[in-house]
Amino acid sequence: MKGTHLGEFQEVVLLVILALEENAFGVTIKQEIKEKVNRDISRGALHTALTRLSEKGFITSEQGEANEDRGGRRKRYYTVTNRGVAALHGAKALRDQLWGQIPRLKLYPDYDS
Amino acid sequence: MTPRRKRPPFFYLRLFERLCKDELFEELQGDLEQEFNQNLRAFGERKARWIYRKEVLKMIRPSVIKKASNKFQSFNPTIMFKNYSLVAFRNIIRNKLFSSINIIGLSISMAVGLIAITFMTEINSYDKFHENGNQIYRVVSDIVRPNQPARGFATAPLLVGEELTNNFAGIDHVVTIQRSLYGSFEHNNDDFSATGIFTNNAFFDVFSFDMIQGNPSTALDDPSAVVLTESVAMKIFGRTDVLGETLNHSRYEQMMITGVVKDPPNNSHIKFEAIASTELLKARSSSLLTRWSQSTAGYTYVLIPEGYEVDRLQDNLDQISKAENDKFKSYEVHLGLEALLDIFPHTGKSNQFGIVMPSEIVNNIIILAAIVILSACFNYTNLSMARSLKRAKEVGVRKVVGARRGQLLVQFMTEAIVVSTLALFIAIMLFKIIRPEFLMLNLFIERTTNLALSGKIYLYFFFFATVVGALSGTIPALFMSKLKPTTIMKGVPAIKASKGIDLKKILTTAQFTLSMGFLILVTLVYKQYKFSLNYDLGFATENILNIETQGNDTELLRAAFTQIPEVSNISTSSMTASTGQYQSDYAKHDDALDSTYTLTFDVSPEYISNLGHQIVAGKSFSNELRKDHVVVTELLVKSLGISSNQEAVDEFIQFNGQSYSILGVVKDFQARTITSGLMTPFVFTSERQHSSMQLKISTDDIMNTMAKLESAWSEVDNKNSFKSIFYDDEIKRAYNNLSSSVKTYGFLAGIAVSISILGLLGMAVYTTESKGKELSIRKVLGASVASLVQLLSRSFMTIFVVSAALAIPTAYLIFKRTVAAESAYSIGIGFWELSAGAILIMIIALFTISSQTLKAAKSNPAERLRDD
Repeated sequence: MKGTHLGEFQEVVLLVILALEENAFGVTIKQEIKEKVNRDISRGALHTALTRLSEKGFITSEQGEANEDRGGRRKRYYTVTNRGVAALHGAKALRDQLWGQIPRLKLYPDYDS
Repeated sequence: MTPRRKRPPFFYLRLFERLCKDELFEELQGDLEQEFNQNLRAFGERKARWIYRKEVLKMIRPSVIKKASNKFQSFNPTIMFKNYSLVAFRNIIRNKLFSSINIIGLSISMAVGLIAITFMTEINSYDKFHENGNQIYRVVSDIVRPNQPARGFATAPLLVGEELTNNFAGIDHVVTIQRSLYGSFEHNNDDFSATGIFTNNAFFDVFSFDMIQGNPSTALDDPSAVVLTESVAMKIFGRTDVLGETLNHSRYEQMMITGVVKDPPNNSHIKFEAIASTELLKARSSSLLTRWSQSTAGYTYVLIPEGYEVDRLQDNLDQISKAENDKFKSYEVHLGLEALLDIFPHTGKSNQFGIVMPSEIVNNIIILAAIVILSACFNYTNLSMARSLKRAKEVGVRKVVGARRGQLLVQFMTEAIVVSTLALFIAIMLFKIIRPEFLMLNLFIERTTNLALSGKIYLYFFFFATVVGALSGTIPALFMSKLKPTTIMKGVPAIKASKGIDLKKILTTAQFTLSMGFLILVTLVYKQYKFSLNYDLGFATENILNIETQGNDTELLRAAFTQIPEVSNISTSSMTASTGQYQSDYAKHDDALDSTYTLTFDVSPEYISNLGHQIVAGKSFSNELRKDHVVVTELLVKSLGISSNQEAVDEFIQFNGQSYSILGVVKDFQARTITSGLMTPFVFTSERQHSSMQLKISTDDIMNTMAKLESAWSEVDNKNSFKSIFYDDEIKRAYNNLSSSVKTYGFLAGIAVSISILGLLGMAVYTTESKGKELSIRKVLGASVASLVQLLSRSFMTIFVVSAALAIPTAYLIFKRTVAAESAYSIGIGFWELSAGAILIMIIALFTISSQTLKAAKSNPAERLRDD
């Protein structure tokens, strides 16, 4: 098992897969990232991220159906594992903890309390 | 009806398919294609394709693409390599004929390649040993005279050196070199001749010529100082610690040795045996140093300090030339700069420092070597392709057993490289045989290179062999590794239908075009050479022995040589006609206004009869010395506008600032080499400044006569050795460049012809073998031997005809553009001159083919068909 560190982009990909629920495969993930996160990434870059995530055991995948648009080639659907969900929680907790440590004044300097 | 489906860009699709890991391809290509189709609907075809291409290129990342190593080496690479070499050797041994044709062909051409490599390495090493080499520039000049094209010279007026150091800041290291230190040093009553240069102390700063004795910064301070090279010091004194010794110089009297310097290396364009100081020229107030018009007096080298721009130096030079040119009306010298490392080989500047290889020679050698090597590579390619039909089964079995294409590729490449490496060993032996011949090819090669071998060069050789192997092996390897087991099982015809056959024809045609072209060229050049030698010069050169007087009194020599009975006639002259030496003037007739260009020549009274010039009017010189008498040629009479030869006798003409009366008129003759100019008007004068002597010899025992002449010479001059040459040989020497062309083209023609004939032999063997069954069946059905031979030779005939059609005009053009263009008279070119070479090759080729086809056609069909 490789290290369990969750990179920033990988975290985005995990969240997007979860958000897409049953319909998470290459094309939809890429489009979701473009639309919601406003990042235009290549399919190659996405592939790298997906490979890393499955190496860490955060996602699993299974082959799906084919269609005409794909030249008869089958899709691969991705789902987030429990370990992946845990990693997301861990990442969020880490952030929340850090947010909590920061004096309010520094985060909202213009906000008159 | 639905429109035709639009597909992603084909090339990128295939590229991606090739690069992508097999297990990922379905998912990734599916995603890309779905996206492509979405984009197609959203943005149109152009943008969709563009995005697809970008996506594919971005897929090139380690996690997606196949690992190259997976493709080629699934097993231990060293074991596989061992196996490849073993298979290669087995194949070489099994096909002895093909292997030896390949190895011999390759080794002959590689020997030429090795010559070219060694030659190039040597040429490239010139002047590289100077530590500051990159910062050294030579001042060169273009001389412009009115109505004449500018001519480039390697020399520049020597005053530039002083101007640069005195008037322009930043330039401290300027070397001026004057190359006229001739004469000999006397030591213990022995004379040692040494040629050398005049220069200043900066010479040792700028160039890396190491001094082993003496102080480089002061060695050339004194006018009488001289620095010797190590080998000259050893020759004179037998030792090198000779600082402070004095020597008597034949021209400059007492000189003191202030330094001993290492001999300049072979690869230095600056060569010298002794160095004297420019101060010596100054002390003699030589005009060479101070006159702008002495623009070819010497060489100026500048060491540009770091950070100083070459353009700035050029500006300085422009200023100097402008200031000086303003003082002259019709004479301009434009100064320029040439980097030290560009000096050798030179690109057309006159007046080089000693013998510098012209770059055309270098280019020609590279081109010719490349042609010959390619020709041999074609052989390998052709024969391997031909044999591929036989080896197809091997490929099939290997593929079925599990060999990948990459492995087969490596196997066939290894085979080619093994063959070329074997050829290399023979080539190195051949190289050693050709080397002395090559070195004698022409003066430039003889004087500037020695083709020494070193470890580095052997390394280049091996690299070269690998490249040749790869070059010749690529096409067959690609072809054979591509064969599919299923096609192979279908049999030979299925493979034959592929493109390989056309390629073979093209390569064979190229080879034969080359061989024919070279052979035609060599015929033409040889004819031109013979034509030049046998050209009727208009005077007789048989049995005339030319002797250099080497400064001795001609009367003393004459007295000595008259004693010898075999010498029937003696004359003297200022030079030797028809060998390239000439002296020109403008002659005027008394009445006419305009002058005519003429060559002139000082001779003794006997000269005209001795050399067999025919008198057509008047008489020849008499023994009584009259310096105002001349004998002229008919052409001079005509161009001066005198009506007849008889009229011309006793007329006065003027040239050289004097008036002369015409004593007689001789028939026209060729006073210059026939390559250098047409027949010109000519004047014989009877001035007595003669450096050449013509002895008419009649003897049966030439050795004995030469010995007598030599002893007669040594009575007059015991310092210099006797130098003589027969007139005919001297004329031959004047056409040296033609004879070296004959040798080069002849040699290459020989190589090209033998390589292509070897290749043809291989092809013929293959054709008859592969068509054996067909021939047998035809024979059984009643075909005659003649018709079978014709059947087999037909395809070759087309090749020969096409080659001849290509080679004849090309060779003709090359001859016209090069050799004939340089010659005032050239041979008439007819049908036989052009086609003899082509026909000869066709005959040899047909003979080669028929040796195989006849054997096949005559064989008993039952023998062949029995096995099936």
